Amino acid sequence: MNREEIGELAAAYALGGLDGADRTRFEVLLRTGDPEALAALRDFEGTLADLAAAAPETPPPAVKAALMERIAAPRAPAGPPPRRGRAIWPAVLSGAMAAGLAAIVVGWSVSSTYEKRLDALASDAEQLKAELRSQQTVIAILRDPATQVVALAGQAPAPTARARMMWHEKAGGVFVATGLPAAPAGTVYQLWAIAGTNAPVSAGVFSVDASGTGSLSVQPLPGVATVNAFAVTLEPAGGLPAPSGAMYLLGKS
Amino acid sequence: MAMSSAGAGSETSALIARIAAGDRDAFSRFYDLLAPTAFGLIRRVLRDPEAAAEVLQEVFWQVWREAPQYDPKRGSPEAWLVMRAKTRAIDRLRSIRRRDRTFVAPVDESVARSSEEPAENPAVVAEDRELVHTALAQLPEPQRRVIEMAFFEGLTQSEIAIRLREPLGTVKTRARLGLERLRGALRGERVSAT
Repeated sequence: MNREEIGELAAAYALGGLDGADRTRFEVLLRTGDPEALAALRDFEGTLADLAAAAPETPPPAVKAALMERIAAPRAPAGPPPRRGRAIWPAVLSGAMAAGLAAIVVGWSVSSTYEKRLDALASDAEQLKAELRSQQTVIAILRDPATQVVALAGQAPAPTARARMMWHEKAGGVFVATGLPAAPAGTVYQLWAIAGTNAPVSAGVFSVDASGTGSLSVQPLPGVATVNAFAVTLEPAGGLPAPSGAMYLLGKS
Repeated sequence: MAMSSAGAGSETSALIARIAAGDRDAFSRFYDLLAPTAFGLIRRVLRDPEAAAEVLQEVFWQVWREAPQYDPKRGSPEAWLVMRAKTRAIDRLRSIRRRDRTFVAPVDESVARSSEEPAENPAVVAEDRELVHTALAQLPEPQRRVIEMAFFEGLTQSEIAIRLREPLGTVKTRARLGLERLRGALRGERVSAT
């Protein structure tokens, strides 16, 4: 990819208008720490920050008041995220809402039917987009010559099972298995990456559908460069830090 | 990177480190410095002031929660904040559009609300604002259109290409050239050496 092309991707990414395969390509560059991509993005985002700074507008004081109240509660990093949202609006809008409520109620029964339909469509669209993005990631990973393709063969518990791992050390990978029996209740399949003589590193857990097919999108594994083998074992739900159960699939690169 | 001023840039970096440590005074100061920038942008994307105020609150709530993850290598705190404000505002705009497509007239008329409104924040140097306006105004119309449609209206490049009836490649090139020119204009004025 030449400099101009990276500039185009970075410009569109900063503007928020990058979509489709281009978005995936650029995100792979960012994830792999490409210095040109990072520098171009930093540059353009800085330019857009300057552009925004040129047209400031004083926000309503209620926003800051609500925020200061919200942050007065102790930060709880381990706990569930605090509720987002509308803290100030009930108070600010209660008068207006009372007045408008009657009108809203009349329109609501009609519009809610459509809103539900729209929300359903929107969520379908989001789901399709997510699927598309994951397929584009697969394509981007497949196109990269640095990608290893490892075939995994079924072991004793499931001799006819097969799997493929498309693995890119910096971008992560995609794993697809077929022919596996359904995991018994309370268990999952867990994928392991084995590099040299190091202990296996968990690459995630997955389950299979009725046809015995399962897949897993794998993030880059910190500290794991070249993987020599991938293996799948059956483990308790949630997976374990080290393999303990029977091995179902094994493949060496 | 060309920031509004070197002093403000390093102050916000120090503030964000303090916010990450849970310093509420630092958060208050950070808000005072940058909320007008964020709100100006959000308002330009979402004309509804109530929705804009809600988005502003979400953005700064995100600042409070995610300050520990801020990575100075990725850019300035100003850029970090502006990108968050833009993303949130555009998410909201899209959800409003979904609804409005059925119930109300589309929100498609020119979103290019005047950005010439006088700043209400005295902290922003008038000269700097002038600089950006001049730079944006000096862009060739097609480049400016592409930047405005993406940044303020939340359109993807494919959508822009369809709307302008131009090839996608043309839209991509215009976005890059436009931003490069904008950056060059800002940098050229500030750093006399370039």
